[in-house]
Amino acid sequence: MRKRSGKQVFIILGVGTLVILLGSVFLGRYPRPYWMPPRLLLEDELARRLVFSLRVPRLLTALLLGMTLSATGAVLQMVFRNPLVEPGFMGVTQGAAFGAALSILWLGKHPLVIELSATLFGLIGLFGSYFLSRRLRFGGWVLRLVLSGVAVSALFSAGVGILKYVADPLTQLPEITFWLLGGLWGVTWRNFWYVLPFALAGLLTMFLMRWRVNLLSLKDETAFSLGASTNRERMVLLFASVTATAALTSISGIIGWVGLIVPHIARRLVGASADTSIPVAMLLGGIFTMLSDDIARSLLAGEIPLGILTSAIGALLFMYLMISMGIKVRA
Amino acid sequence: MDHKAIAAKDVSFAYHQDGIRVLRDVSLDIPAQKITAILGPNGTGKTTLLHLMLGLLKPGSGEVLIFGKHHGAYSRREMSQIMGLVPQFESIPFNFTVLEYILLGRSPYLKPFQSPGKEDLQISEEALTSMGIVGLAGKPVSELSGGERQLVHLARVLAQRTKILLLDEPTAHLDLENQNRILNLLVGLAEQGITIVLTTHDPNVAIYAAENFVLVNEGRIFFEGDLDTVITPENLSTMYNVPIHVENADGHTMVVMDKNG
Repeated sequence: MRKRSGKQVFIILGVGTLVILLGSVFLGRYPRPYWMPPRLLLEDELARRLVFSLRVPRLLTALLLGMTLSATGAVLQMVFRNPLVEPGFMGVTQGAAFGAALSILWLGKHPLVIELSATLFGLIGLFGSYFLSRRLRFGGWVLRLVLSGVAVSALFSAGVGILKYVADPLTQLPEITFWLLGGLWGVTWRNFWYVLPFALAGLLTMFLMRWRVNLLSLKDETAFSLGASTNRERMVLLFASVTATAALTSISGIIGWVGLIVPHIARRLVGASADTSIPVAMLLGGIFTMLSDDIARSLLAGEIPLGILTSAIGALLFMYLMISMGIKVRA
Repeated sequence: MDHKAIAAKDVSFAYHQDGIRVLRDVSLDIPAQKITAILGPNGTGKTTLLHLMLGLLKPGSGEVLIFGKHHGAYSRREMSQIMGLVPQFESIPFNFTVLEYILLGRSPYLKPFQSPGKEDLQISEEALTSMGIVGLAGKPVSELSGGERQLVHLARVLAQRTKILLLDEPTAHLDLENQNRILNLLVGLAEQGITIVLTTHDPNVAIYAAENFVLVNEGRIFFEGDLDTVITPENLSTMYNVPIHVENADGHTMVVMDKNG
Protein backbone atom coordinates (compact mmCIF):
# COMPACT_ATOMS: atom_id res chain seq x y z
CA MET A 1 0.00 0.00 0.00
CA ARG A 2 2.68 2.40 1.11
CA LYS A 3 4.97 1.18 -1.63
CA ARG A 4 2.52 2.20 -4.33
CA SER A 5 1.92 5.61 -2.87
CA GLY A 6 5.72 5.97 -2.68
CA LYS A 7 5.94 5.29 -6.38
CA GLN A 8 3.20 7.81 -7.14
CA VAL A 9 4.89 10.49 -5.05
CA PHE A 10 8.10 9.74 -6.86
CA ILE A 11 6.54 10.13 -10.31
CA ILE A 12 4.78 13.36 -9.36
CA LEU A 13 7.98 14.82 -7.93
CA GLY A 14 10.05 13.66 -10.90
CA VAL A 15 7.70 15.34 -13.36
CA GLY A 16 7.50 18.39 -11.07
CA THR A 17 11.28 18.71 -11.04
CA LEU A 18 11.44 18.70 -14.84
CA VAL A 19 8.57 21.17 -15.23
CA ILE A 20 10.06 23.57 -12.71
CA LEU A 21 13.52 23.21 -14.23
CA LEU A 22 12.17 24.08 -17.70
CA GLY A 23 9.77 26.78 -16.50
CA SER A 24 12.43 28.50 -14.42
CA VAL A 25 14.51 29.08 -17.54
CA PHE A 26 11.96 31.72 -18.55
CA LEU A 27 11.61 33.29 -15.13
CA GLY A 28 13.64 36.37 -14.29
CA ARG A 29 13.86 40.07 -14.95
CA TYR A 30 14.76 40.24 -18.60
CA PRO A 31 13.39 41.75 -20.75
CA ARG A 32 10.78 42.74 -18.17
CA PRO A 33 10.06 41.36 -14.67
CA TYR A 34 8.99 37.74 -14.16
CA TRP A 35 8.36 36.14 -17.53
CA MET A 36 10.32 35.92 -20.72
CA PRO A 37 8.34 34.69 -23.74
CA PRO A 38 10.08 31.55 -25.06
CA ARG A 39 10.14 32.90 -28.64
CA LEU A 40 12.76 35.43 -27.52
CA LEU A 41 15.21 32.54 -27.47
CA LEU A 42 15.00 32.48 -31.24
CA GLU A 43 14.84 36.22 -31.82
CA ASP A 44 16.98 37.87 -29.18
CA GLU A 45 20.71 37.21 -29.05
CA LEU A 46 21.03 38.72 -25.56
CA ALA A 47 18.20 36.54 -24.23
CA ARG A 48 19.87 33.47 -25.64
CA ARG A 49 23.21 34.29 -24.02
CA LEU A 50 21.51 35.17 -20.74
CA VAL A 51 19.65 31.87 -20.65
CA PHE A 52 22.41 29.56 -21.78
CA SER A 53 25.40 31.03 -20.01
CA LEU A 54 23.76 32.31 -16.80
CA ARG A 55 20.33 30.89 -16.07
CA VAL A 56 20.87 27.27 -17.06
CA PRO A 57 24.08 26.68 -15.06
CA ARG A 58 22.52 28.52 -12.13
CA LEU A 59 19.36 26.42 -12.24
CA LEU A 60 21.29 23.18 -12.50
CA THR A 61 23.44 24.24 -9.56
CA ALA A 62 20.33 25.07 -7.52
CA LEU A 63 18.96 21.61 -8.33
CA LEU A 64 22.20 19.88 -7.27
CA LEU A 65 22.43 22.04 -4.16
CA GLY A 66 18.91 21.20 -2.99
CA MET A 67 19.28 17.51 -3.74
CA THR A 68 22.61 17.30 -1.94
CA LEU A 69 21.61 19.29 1.15
CA SER A 70 18.40 17.31 1.59
CA ALA A 71 19.92 13.90 1.03
CA THR A 72 22.81 14.76 3.35
CA GLY A 73 20.33 15.93 5.98
CA ALA A 74 18.37 12.69 5.67
CA VAL A 75 21.53 10.57 5.90
CA LEU A 76 22.93 12.49 8.89
CA GLN A 77 19.59 12.27 10.72
CA MET A 78 19.38 8.52 10.29
CA VAL A 79 23.04 7.62 10.73
CA PHE A 80 23.26 9.69 13.91
CA ARG A 81 19.80 8.44 14.99
CA ASN A 82 18.81 12.04 15.54
CA PRO A 83 15.97 13.78 13.70
CA LEU A 84 17.29 17.22 14.63
CA VAL A 85 20.57 17.28 12.79
CA GLU A 86 21.35 18.82 9.43
CA PRO A 87 24.61 19.89 7.79
CA GLY A 88 24.18 23.38 9.26
CA PHE A 89 23.79 22.06 12.80
CA MET A 90 26.69 19.68 12.60
CA GLY A 91 29.49 22.12 11.92
CA VAL A 92 29.65 21.14 8.25
CA THR A 93 28.28 24.31 6.69
CA GLN A 94 30.09 26.67 9.04
CA GLY A 95 33.29 24.70 8.63
CA ALA A 96 32.96 24.83 4.87
CA ALA A 97 32.25 28.57 5.09
CA PHE A 98 35.40 29.09 7.11
CA GLY A 99 37.43 27.05 4.63
CA ALA A 100 36.05 29.00 1.69
CA ALA A 101 36.60 32.39 3.33
CA LEU A 102 40.14 31.37 4.22
CA SER A 103 40.68 30.48 0.62
CA ILE A 104 39.23 33.75 -0.72
CA LEU A 105 41.59 35.66 1.58
CA TRP A 106 44.85 33.81 1.32
CA LEU A 107 44.89 30.59 -0.58
CA GLY A 108 43.66 31.85 -3.91
CA LYS A 109 40.32 32.35 -5.58
CA HIS A 110 40.49 29.46 -7.99
CA PRO A 111 37.15 27.64 -7.66
CA LEU A 112 38.84 24.31 -7.15
CA VAL A 113 41.03 25.64 -4.32
CA ILE A 114 38.01 27.20 -2.61
CA GLU A 115 36.13 23.94 -3.02
CA LEU A 116 38.87 21.75 -1.56
CA SER A 117 39.46 24.10 1.35
CA ALA A 118 35.71 24.16 2.06
CA THR A 119 35.53 20.37 1.93
CA LEU A 120 38.47 19.91 4.27
CA PHE A 121 37.03 22.26 6.91
CA GLY A 122 33.53 20.85 6.43
CA LEU A 123 34.86 17.40 7.32
CA ILE A 124 36.78 18.83 10.28
CA GLY A 125 33.50 20.43 11.44
CA LEU A 126 31.56 17.18 11.20
CA PHE A 127 34.09 15.00 12.95
CA GLY A 128 34.77 17.73 15.52
CA SER A 129 31.08 17.80 16.44
CA TYR A 130 30.87 14.02 16.48
CA PHE A 131 33.87 13.42 18.73
CA LEU A 132 32.92 16.28 21.04
CA SER A 133 29.46 14.78 21.52
CA ARG A 134 31.01 11.40 22.36
CA ARG A 135 32.94 13.05 25.18
CA LEU A 136 30.02 14.90 26.76
CA ARG A 137 28.99 13.23 29.98
CA PHE A 138 25.42 14.46 30.32
CA GLY A 139 22.15 14.50 28.41
CA GLY A 140 20.71 12.15 25.81
CA TRP A 141 22.31 11.51 22.45
CA VAL A 142 20.04 13.95 20.61
CA LEU A 143 20.89 16.79 22.96
CA ARG A 144 24.62 16.08 23.06
CA LEU A 145 24.97 16.02 19.30
CA VAL A 146 23.00 19.23 18.82
CA LEU A 147 24.98 21.00 21.56
CA SER A 148 28.30 19.88 20.11
CA GLY A 149 27.25 20.93 16.63
CA VAL A 150 26.21 24.36 17.92
CA ALA A 151 29.54 24.79 19.75
CA VAL A 152 31.68 23.73 16.80
CA SER A 153 29.62 25.88 14.42
CA ALA A 154 30.04 28.85 16.74
CA LEU A 155 33.79 28.32 16.78
CA PHE A 156 33.90 28.36 13.00
CA SER A 157 31.66 31.42 12.74
CA ALA A 158 34.01 33.18 15.16
CA GLY A 159 36.82 32.15 12.82
CA VAL A 160 34.89 33.59 9.88
CA GLY A 161 34.38 36.78 11.93
CA ILE A 162 38.13 37.10 12.41
CA LEU A 163 38.70 36.56 8.70
CA LYS A 164 36.17 39.28 7.88
CA TYR A 165 37.87 41.60 10.36
CA VAL A 166 41.26 41.24 8.73
CA ALA A 167 39.91 41.22 5.17
CA ASP A 168 40.47 44.22 2.93
CA PRO A 169 37.26 46.24 3.39
CA LEU A 170 37.20 47.43 -0.21
CA THR A 171 37.92 44.27 -2.14
CA GLN A 172 37.71 41.12 -0.01
CA LEU A 173 35.15 41.98 2.66
CA PRO A 174 32.16 42.58 0.35
CA GLU A 175 32.95 39.39 -1.48
CA ILE A 176 33.07 37.30 1.72
CA THR A 177 29.98 38.98 3.18
CA PHE A 178 27.80 38.46 0.13
CA TRP A 179 29.07 34.95 -0.26
CA LEU A 180 28.20 34.17 3.37
CA LEU A 181 24.63 35.37 2.95
CA GLY A 182 24.24 32.55 0.52
CA GLY A 183 23.31 32.86 -3.12
CA LEU A 184 23.91 31.57 -6.59
CA TRP A 185 24.29 34.84 -8.49
CA GLY A 186 27.90 34.31 -9.46
CA VAL A 187 27.48 30.77 -10.78
CA THR A 188 29.02 30.06 -14.16
CA TRP A 189 29.42 26.90 -16.19
CA ARG A 190 32.95 26.68 -14.87
CA ASN A 191 31.68 26.55 -11.22
CA PHE A 192 29.09 24.02 -12.19
CA TRP A 193 31.55 21.68 -13.86
CA TYR A 194 33.89 21.86 -10.87
CA VAL A 195 31.26 20.79 -8.33
CA LEU A 196 29.43 18.34 -10.56
CA PRO A 197 31.72 15.31 -9.96
CA PHE A 198 31.70 15.81 -6.16
CA ALA A 199 27.94 16.28 -6.07
CA LEU A 200 27.24 13.30 -8.32
CA ALA A 201 29.62 11.03 -6.38
CA GLY A 202 27.91 12.00 -3.11
CA LEU A 203 24.37 11.70 -4.46
CA LEU A 204 25.09 8.39 -6.13
CA THR A 205 26.67 6.93 -2.98
CA MET A 206 23.70 8.02 -0.86
CA PHE A 207 21.23 6.73 -3.44
CA LEU A 208 22.88 3.32 -3.78
CA MET A 209 23.36 2.82 -0.05
CA ARG A 210 19.90 4.12 0.86
CA TRP A 211 18.54 0.85 2.19
CA ARG A 212 21.66 0.31 4.31
CA VAL A 213 20.91 3.67 5.94
CA ASN A 214 17.89 2.04 7.60
CA LEU A 215 20.20 -0.59 9.04
CA LEU A 216 22.62 2.04 10.34
CA SER A 217 19.80 3.82 12.18
CA LEU A 218 19.48 0.83 14.53
CA LYS A 219 21.66 0.32 17.59
CA ASP A 220 25.25 -0.66 16.82
CA GLU A 221 24.90 -4.16 18.21
CA THR A 222 21.78 -4.84 16.14
CA ALA A 223 23.32 -3.48 12.94
CA PHE A 224 26.45 -5.54 13.67
CA SER A 225 24.41 -8.70 14.24
CA LEU A 226 22.76 -8.06 10.86
CA GLY A 227 26.15 -8.14 9.15
CA ALA A 228 26.83 -4.42 8.82
CA SER A 229 30.35 -3.08 9.20
CA THR A 230 28.88 -0.14 11.07
CA ASN A 231 31.90 2.14 11.35
CA ARG A 232 33.11 1.61 7.82
CA GLU A 233 29.68 2.07 6.23
CA ARG A 234 29.02 5.22 8.28
CA MET A 235 32.38 6.67 7.26
CA VAL A 236 31.73 6.01 3.56
CA LEU A 237 28.32 7.71 3.76
CA LEU A 238 29.53 10.66 5.82
CA PHE A 239 32.57 11.25 3.65
CA ALA A 240 30.57 11.14 0.42
CA SER A 241 27.74 13.35 1.66
CA VAL A 242 29.87 15.93 3.43
CA THR A 243 32.27 16.24 0.49
CA ALA A 244 29.33 16.94 -1.81
CA THR A 245 27.75 19.41 0.62
CA ALA A 246 31.00 21.29 1.21
CA ALA A 247 31.79 21.48 -2.50
CA LEU A 248 28.39 23.05 -3.19
CA THR A 249 28.66 25.32 -0.16
CA SER A 250 31.91 26.66 -1.61
CA ILE A 251 29.94 28.23 -4.47
CA SER A 252 26.57 28.84 -2.81
CA GLY A 253 27.59 30.14 0.61
CA ILE A 254 25.52 29.19 3.63
CA ILE A 255 22.12 27.80 2.68
CA GLY A 256 20.38 26.80 5.90
CA TRP A 257 17.36 24.72 6.88
CA VAL A 258 16.90 22.84 3.61
CA GLY A 259 18.74 19.81 5.01
CA LEU A 260 16.66 19.80 8.18
CA ILE A 261 13.18 20.41 6.90
CA VAL A 262 13.06 18.53 3.61
CA PRO A 263 13.83 15.05 5.04
CA HIS A 264 11.02 15.52 7.58
CA ILE A 265 8.54 16.34 4.83
CA ALA A 266 9.81 13.40 2.76
CA ARG A 267 9.32 10.96 5.64
CA ARG A 268 5.87 12.37 6.18
CA LEU A 269 4.97 11.79 2.54
CA VAL A 270 6.28 8.25 2.02
CA GLY A 271 7.17 6.88 5.47
CA ALA A 272 10.43 6.56 7.35
CA SER A 273 12.20 3.89 5.29
CA ALA A 274 15.24 5.47 3.67
CA ASP A 275 14.65 3.22 0.67
CA THR A 276 11.97 5.67 -0.48
CA SER A 277 12.46 8.69 1.77
CA ILE A 278 16.01 9.51 0.56
CA PRO A 279 15.13 9.63 -3.19
CA VAL A 280 12.00 11.63 -2.35
CA ALA A 281 14.03 14.02 -0.18
CA MET A 282 16.45 14.52 -3.10
CA LEU A 283 13.67 15.53 -5.50
CA LEU A 284 11.82 17.65 -2.94
CA GLY A 285 15.05 19.42 -2.01
CA GLY A 286 15.79 20.14 -5.65
CA ILE A 287 12.33 21.60 -6.18
CA PHE A 288 12.45 23.62 -2.96
CA THR A 289 15.82 25.15 -3.78
CA MET A 290 15.00 25.88 -7.45
CA LEU A 291 11.77 27.64 -6.44
CA SER A 292 13.53 29.57 -3.67
CA ASP A 293 16.21 30.65 -6.11
CA ASP A 294 13.53 31.68 -8.64
CA ILE A 295 12.06 33.98 -6.00
CA ALA A 296 15.53 35.17 -4.97
CA ARG A 297 16.43 36.34 -8.47
CA SER A 298 13.05 37.43 -9.83
CA LEU A 299 10.97 38.97 -7.07
CA LEU A 300 12.79 42.27 -6.60
CA ALA A 301 14.96 44.38 -8.85
CA GLY A 302 17.88 43.54 -6.58
CA GLU A 303 18.67 39.95 -5.75
CA ILE A 304 17.51 38.55 -2.39
CA PRO A 305 20.21 36.29 -0.90
CA LEU A 306 19.05 32.69 -1.25
CA GLY A 307 20.26 31.75 2.25
CA ILE A 308 17.94 34.33 3.79
CA LEU A 309 14.97 32.97 1.84
CA THR A 310 15.56 29.31 2.62
CA SER A 311 16.06 30.13 6.31
CA ALA A 312 12.84 32.12 6.45
CA ILE A 313 10.74 29.55 4.60
CA GLY A 314 12.45 26.62 6.33
CA ALA A 315 12.02 28.04 9.82
CA LEU A 316 8.32 28.76 9.19
CA LEU A 317 7.77 25.21 7.91
CA PHE A 318 9.66 23.86 10.90
CA MET A 319 7.38 25.75 13.27
CA TYR A 320 4.37 24.38 11.45
CA LEU A 321 5.68 20.79 11.58
CA MET A 322 6.51 21.11 15.28
CA ILE A 323 3.02 22.34 16.11
CA SER A 324 1.33 19.73 13.93
CA MET A 325 3.48 16.93 15.45
CA GLY A 326 5.22 16.20 12.17
CA ILE A 327 8.49 16.15 14.08
CA LYS A 328 8.90 13.73 16.92
CA VAL A 329 12.01 13.62 19.01
CA ARG A 330 12.70 11.11 21.70
CA ALA A 331 15.66 12.56 23.55
CA MET B 1 26.64 -32.11 13.30
CA ASP B 2 28.65 -30.65 16.14
CA HIS B 3 26.58 -30.85 19.31
CA LYS B 4 28.21 -27.68 20.63
CA ALA B 5 26.91 -24.54 18.94
CA ILE B 6 29.06 -22.15 20.96
CA ALA B 7 32.02 -22.86 23.20
CA ALA B 8 33.90 -20.41 25.39
CA LYS B 9 37.28 -21.35 26.83
CA ASP B 10 38.89 -19.40 29.70
CA VAL B 11 37.43 -16.12 28.45
CA SER B 12 38.31 -12.94 30.31
CA PHE B 13 37.12 -9.50 29.29
CA ALA B 14 37.52 -5.89 30.43
CA TYR B 15 35.96 -2.85 28.72
CA HIS B 16 39.07 -0.73 29.31
CA GLN B 17 42.66 -1.79 29.40
CA ASP B 18 43.72 -2.25 33.03
CA GLY B 19 40.04 -1.81 33.94
CA ILE B 20 37.95 -4.13 36.05
CA ARG B 21 37.47 -7.48 34.37
CA VAL B 22 33.77 -7.94 33.68
CA LEU B 23 34.28 -11.64 32.97
CA ARG B 24 36.94 -13.84 34.54
CA ASP B 25 38.05 -17.21 33.14
CA VAL B 26 34.64 -18.10 31.79
CA SER B 27 34.31 -21.51 30.15
CA LEU B 28 31.00 -22.86 28.93
CA ASP B 29 29.39 -24.92 26.19
CA ILE B 30 26.11 -24.03 24.52
CA PRO B 31 24.45 -27.23 23.24
CA ALA B 32 22.96 -27.04 19.75
CA GLN B 33 19.19 -27.07 19.17
CA LYS B 34 18.34 -26.41 22.81
CA ILE B 35 17.46 -23.40 24.90
CA THR B 36 20.21 -22.29 27.24
CA ALA B 37 19.37 -19.75 29.92
CA ILE B 38 22.13 -17.55 31.26
CA LEU B 39 20.82 -16.67 34.69
CA GLY B 40 22.18 -14.17 37.12
CA PRO B 41 21.56 -10.91 38.98
CA ASN B 42 21.59 -7.57 37.16
CA GLY B 43 24.98 -6.22 36.17
CA THR B 44 26.96 -9.47 36.32
CA GLY B 45 28.20 -9.62 32.75
CA LYS B 46 25.36 -11.50 31.03
CA THR B 47 25.05 -9.00 28.19
CA THR B 48 28.84 -8.85 27.85
CA LEU B 49 28.85 -12.61 27.49
CA LEU B 50 26.25 -12.42 24.69
CA HIS B 51 28.25 -9.73 22.90
CA LEU B 52 31.35 -11.92 23.09
CA MET B 53 29.42 -14.81 21.55
CA LEU B 54 28.18 -12.48 18.82
CA GLY B 55 31.72 -11.32 18.08
CA LEU B 56 30.88 -7.67 18.75
CA LEU B 57 33.43 -7.79 21.59
CA LYS B 58 36.70 -9.67 21.46
CA PRO B 59 37.92 -11.57 24.53
CA GLY B 60 40.98 -10.15 26.30
CA SER B 61 42.19 -13.70 26.76
CA GLY B 62 40.75 -17.11 25.97
CA GLU B 63 38.67 -17.95 22.93
CA VAL B 64 35.09 -18.22 21.68
CA LEU B 65 34.24 -20.86 19.08
CA ILE B 66 31.13 -20.95 16.90
CA PHE B 67 30.46 -24.48 15.62
CA GLY B 68 34.09 -25.23 16.40
CA LYS B 69 35.61 -22.25 14.58
CA HIS B 70 36.79 -18.77 15.62
CA HIS B 71 34.82 -15.68 14.60
CA GLY B 72 37.73 -14.78 12.34
CA ALA B 73 37.07 -17.89 10.24
CA TYR B 74 33.71 -16.43 9.15
CA SER B 75 33.09 -13.29 7.12
CA ARG B 76 30.74 -10.66 8.61
CA ARG B 77 28.13 -11.80 6.12
CA GLU B 78 28.49 -15.51 6.96
CA MET B 79 28.40 -14.80 10.69
CA SER B 80 25.18 -12.79 10.37
CA GLN B 81 23.62 -15.72 8.50
CA ILE B 82 24.50 -18.02 11.43
CA MET B 83 23.70 -15.92 14.49
CA GLY B 84 21.12 -13.24 15.25
CA LEU B 85 20.59 -10.95 18.24
CA VAL B 86 17.68 -9.23 19.94
CA PRO B 87 19.20 -6.73 22.38
CA GLN B 88 17.48 -5.92 25.64
CA PHE B 89 16.65 -2.38 24.60
CA GLU B 90 16.14 -2.43 20.86
CA SER B 91 15.68 1.16 19.77
CA ILE B 92 14.05 2.06 16.46
CA PRO B 93 14.42 5.84 16.27
CA PHE B 94 12.58 6.28 12.97
CA ASN B 95 9.00 5.30 12.52
CA PHE B 96 9.29 2.32 10.18
CA THR B 97 6.31 0.08 9.57
CA VAL B 98 6.55 -3.36 11.16
CA LEU B 99 7.18 -4.94 7.77
CA GLU B 100 9.92 -2.43 6.86
CA TYR B 101 11.62 -3.18 10.19
CA ILE B 102 11.38 -6.95 9.76
CA LEU B 103 12.82 -6.68 6.25
CA LEU B 104 16.02 -5.39 7.89
CA GLY B 105 16.47 -8.98 9.07
CA ARG B 106 17.18 -9.88 5.43
CA SER B 107 20.29 -7.72 5.18
CA PRO B 108 22.73 -10.65 5.66
CA TYR B 109 21.49 -12.00 2.32
CA LEU B 110 21.68 -8.74 0.35
CA LYS B 111 24.56 -7.17 -1.54
CA PRO B 112 25.85 -3.76 -0.35
CA PHE B 113 23.74 -1.72 -2.80
CA GLN B 114 20.73 -4.04 -2.88
CA SER B 115 17.25 -3.46 -1.49
CA PRO B 116 15.13 -6.43 -0.39
CA GLY B 117 13.18 -8.19 -3.13
CA LYS B 118 10.14 -10.43 -3.50
CA GLU B 119 11.70 -13.46 -1.81
CA ASP B 120 12.75 -11.34 1.17
CA LEU B 121 9.24 -9.97 1.43
CA GLN B 122 7.86 -13.50 1.44
CA ILE B 123 10.30 -14.69 4.16
CA SER B 124 9.46 -11.64 6.27
CA GLU B 125 5.76 -12.37 5.96
CA GLU B 126 6.40 -15.97 7.01
CA ALA B 127 8.24 -14.65 10.08
CA LEU B 128 5.20 -12.50 10.90
CA THR B 129 2.95 -15.52 10.52
CA SER B 130 5.03 -17.74 12.78
CA MET B 131 4.94 -15.05 15.48
CA GLY B 132 1.18 -14.74 14.97
CA ILE B 133 1.28 -11.03 14.14
CA VAL B 134 0.42 -10.83 10.44
CA GLY B 135 -2.11 -8.10 11.25
CA LEU B 136 0.65 -5.78 12.44
CA ALA B 137 2.55 -5.68 9.12
CA GLY B 138 1.55 -2.16 8.09
CA LYS B 139 1.49 -0.65 11.55
CA PRO B 140 4.10 1.98 12.51
CA VAL B 141 6.47 0.62 15.17
CA SER B 142 5.77 3.60 17.43
CA GLU B 143 2.19 2.41 17.88
CA LEU B 144 3.05 -1.06 19.20
CA SER B 145 2.49 -2.20 22.79
CA GLY B 146 5.39 -3.65 24.78
CA GLY B 147 4.34 -7.24 24.07
CA GLU B 148 3.78 -6.61 20.35
CA ARG B 149 7.14 -4.88 20.17
CA GLN B 150 9.01 -7.92 21.48
CA LEU B 151 7.15 -10.21 19.04
CA VAL B 152 8.17 -7.87 16.23
CA HIS B 153 11.83 -7.97 17.35
CA LEU B 154 11.67 -11.77 17.33
CA ALA B 155 10.08 -11.78 13.88
CA ARG B 156 12.95 -9.60 12.63
CA VAL B 157 15.54 -12.07 13.92
CA LEU B 158 13.51 -15.00 12.51
CA ALA B 159 13.54 -13.38 9.07
CA GLN B 160 17.32 -13.51 9.42
CA ARG B 161 17.03 -17.35 9.24
CA THR B 162 19.92 -18.09 11.61
CA LYS B 163 20.81 -21.33 13.41
CA ILE B 164 21.57 -19.48 16.64
CA LEU B 165 19.48 -16.81 18.37
CA LEU B 166 20.93 -14.64 21.13
CA LEU B 167 18.18 -12.98 23.17
CA ASP B 168 19.02 -10.47 25.87
CA GLU B 169 16.32 -10.45 28.58
CA PRO B 170 13.55 -11.31 26.10
CA THR B 171 10.81 -11.27 28.74
CA ALA B 172 11.85 -8.37 30.95
CA HIS B 173 9.16 -5.66 31.04
CA LEU B 174 6.46 -8.04 29.80
CA ASP B 175 3.31 -9.05 31.66
CA LEU B 176 2.66 -12.71 32.41
CA GLU B 177 0.49 -13.36 29.36
CA ASN B 178 3.10 -11.94 27.00
CA GLN B 179 5.94 -13.69 28.85
CA ASN B 180 4.11 -16.97 28.40
CA ARG B 181 3.48 -16.31 24.72
CA ILE B 182 7.09 -15.44 23.97
CA LEU B 183 8.52 -18.37 25.94
CA ASN B 184 6.20 -20.88 24.23
CA LEU B 185 7.24 -19.51 20.85
CA LEU B 186 10.89 -19.95 21.83
CA VAL B 187 10.31 -23.53 22.92
CA GLY B 188 8.68 -24.16 19.54
CA LEU B 189 11.69 -22.69 17.72
CA ALA B 190 14.10 -24.91 19.66
CA GLU B 191 12.00 -27.93 18.66
CA GLN B 192 12.50 -26.88 15.04
CA GLY B 193 16.26 -27.14 15.62
CA ILE B 194 17.26 -23.57 16.45
CA THR B 195 19.82 -22.99 19.18
CA ILE B 196 18.66 -20.32 21.60
CA VAL B 197 20.70 -18.49 24.21
CA LEU B 198 18.71 -16.19 26.43
CA THR B 199 19.72 -14.14 29.42
CA THR B 200 17.38 -13.49 32.29
CA HIS B 201 17.50 -12.37 35.90
CA ASP B 202 14.32 -14.33 36.65
CA PRO B 203 14.88 -18.03 37.58
CA ASN B 204 11.26 -18.93 36.80
CA VAL B 205 11.59 -17.67 33.22
CA ALA B 206 14.71 -19.82 32.84
CA ILE B 207 13.03 -22.89 34.32
CA TYR B 208 9.95 -22.50 32.13
CA ALA B 209 11.80 -22.44 28.83
CA ALA B 210 15.34 -23.78 29.14
CA GLU B 211 16.92 -27.22 29.20
CA ASN B 212 20.41 -26.02 29.95
CA PHE B 213 21.34 -23.52 32.66
CA VAL B 214 24.33 -21.29 33.27
CA LEU B 215 24.48 -19.35 36.53
CA VAL B 216 26.61 -16.23 36.28
CA ASN B 217 27.57 -13.93 39.08
CA GLU B 218 30.25 -11.26 39.39
CA GLY B 219 31.78 -12.21 36.08
CA ARG B 220 32.23 -15.89 36.86
CA ILE B 221 30.29 -19.01 35.98
CA PHE B 222 28.93 -20.44 39.23
CA PHE B 223 27.21 -23.53 37.93
CA GLU B 224 26.37 -25.03 34.58
CA GLY B 225 24.18 -27.98 33.65
CA ASP B 226 20.59 -29.24 33.59
CA LEU B 227 17.68 -28.32 35.82
CA ASP B 228 18.28 -30.75 38.67
CA THR B 229 21.99 -30.07 39.09
CA VAL B 230 21.86 -26.29 38.75
CA ILE B 231 18.53 -25.07 40.09
CA THR B 232 18.96 -25.93 43.75
CA PRO B 233 18.13 -23.76 46.79
CA GLU B 234 21.80 -23.68 47.79
CA ASN B 235 23.05 -22.53 44.37
CA LEU B 236 20.40 -19.86 43.94
CA SER B 237 20.61 -18.58 47.51
CA THR B 238 24.36 -18.14 47.18
CA MET B 239 24.03 -16.40 43.86
CA TYR B 240 21.20 -13.98 44.58
CA ASN B 241 22.29 -13.44 48.16
CA VAL B 242 18.76 -13.96 49.52
CA PRO B 243 17.25 -17.20 50.92
CA ILE B 244 15.49 -19.03 48.07
CA HIS B 245 13.32 -22.15 48.00
CA VAL B 246 12.86 -24.45 45.04
CA GLU B 247 9.38 -26.00 45.13
CA ASN B 248 7.75 -28.70 43.09
CA ALA B 249 4.08 -28.28 42.26
CA ASP B 250 2.18 -30.48 39.79
CA GLY B 251 5.46 -31.48 38.21
CA HIS B 252 6.54 -27.86 37.68
CA THR B 253 9.62 -26.55 39.36
CA MET B 254 9.24 -23.09 40.86
CA VAL B 255 11.55 -20.71 42.63
CA VAL B 256 10.19 -18.71 45.57
CA MET B 257 11.78 -16.23 47.91
CA ASP B 258 11.78 -17.07 51.59
CA LYS B 259 9.67 -14.38 53.22
CA ASN B 260 11.02 -15.05 56.69
CA GLY B 261 14.61 -15.06 55.51
